[in-house]
Amino acid sequence: MNALMTSRTLAPSLTMTLDVLAAEIELAGARCIYLDRIIGDVMEGLPDADRARLVEGMHGVDLLAQHLTSLSAFARGLSVAVPEDLTVPVGGAMSEVTLGALVERMTAGLGGGDGDADEAEEASAGDIDLF
Amino acid sequence: MQFDGRASKILVIDHDRTTLEMIGLRLDVAGFHPLTARSGRAALEMLEASRPDAVILEWNLPDMSGLDLLRAMAAMPGRHAPVLLVGRNLAVEDIQAGMQLGVRDCLAKPFSGAAVLERLTRMLKRTGAAPAPARAVVHINA
Repeated sequence: MNALMTSRTLAPSLTMTLDVLAAEIELAGARCIYLDRIIGDVMEGLPDADRARLVEGMHGVDLLAQHLTSLSAFARGLSVAVPEDLTVPVGGAMSEVTLGALVERMTAGLGGGDGDADEAEEASAGDIDLF
Repeated sequence: MQFDGRASKILVIDHDRTTLEMIGLRLDVAGFHPLTARSGRAALEMLEASRPDAVILEWNLPDMSGLDLLRAMAAMPGRHAPVLLVGRNLAVEDIQAGMQLGVRDCLAKPFSGAAVLERLTRMLKRTGAAPAPARAVVHINA
């Protein structure tokens, strides 16, 4: 089942939509923190000159992680502040999301399925789907 | 800081892939050894095979309730890992029922990765279930 087809008719609450958005941004932040750790591990075996460049990159990733976790906190704060009975049609916005696995997860989070991607979908989790 | 070199095994049980991956990454970076399960059945198999030091449990699972899973966990022989209960709109009655079956703390969704780590670490220290994470995280400021 194509998650995009499902998401076209979805109209979840604004609260739920913001929560799903917050969770995805938080995950992106966690991936940055993980990348930051890997860069730190790689740095240990490098000569000083190369380390200096990586420190700069590491700092950038660290800032990106903070940026994303702050945005996630903002989205969570909004979800608490908005009226619970407001709903939003997400189909149009979802068609802008070009990562298949992300559409799958968000659609599931918004109540449009259980998010069970099959093995082929798992394998292509980073592929860009062009609609 | 002194670490004993043993990574605490943390079983994360949640049907939501985003939550599982986010918590898994944060635990890994913090030096824990994350294990994940997306259903109650998978969680029971994992509990049997891996004997985790702590459990992060989503109350609403697709194949069984959090309460049923906690009952099954309580019936298992041996030491019982402390449970951090997570979920959306957790009812007081659910939390109270969980407390009788191994729940030691709870956290409402949505949450940040930092909040999960903080609550988990606090729970582990309080229950004496496991030492601190095995790997010290060193931050280098440019």
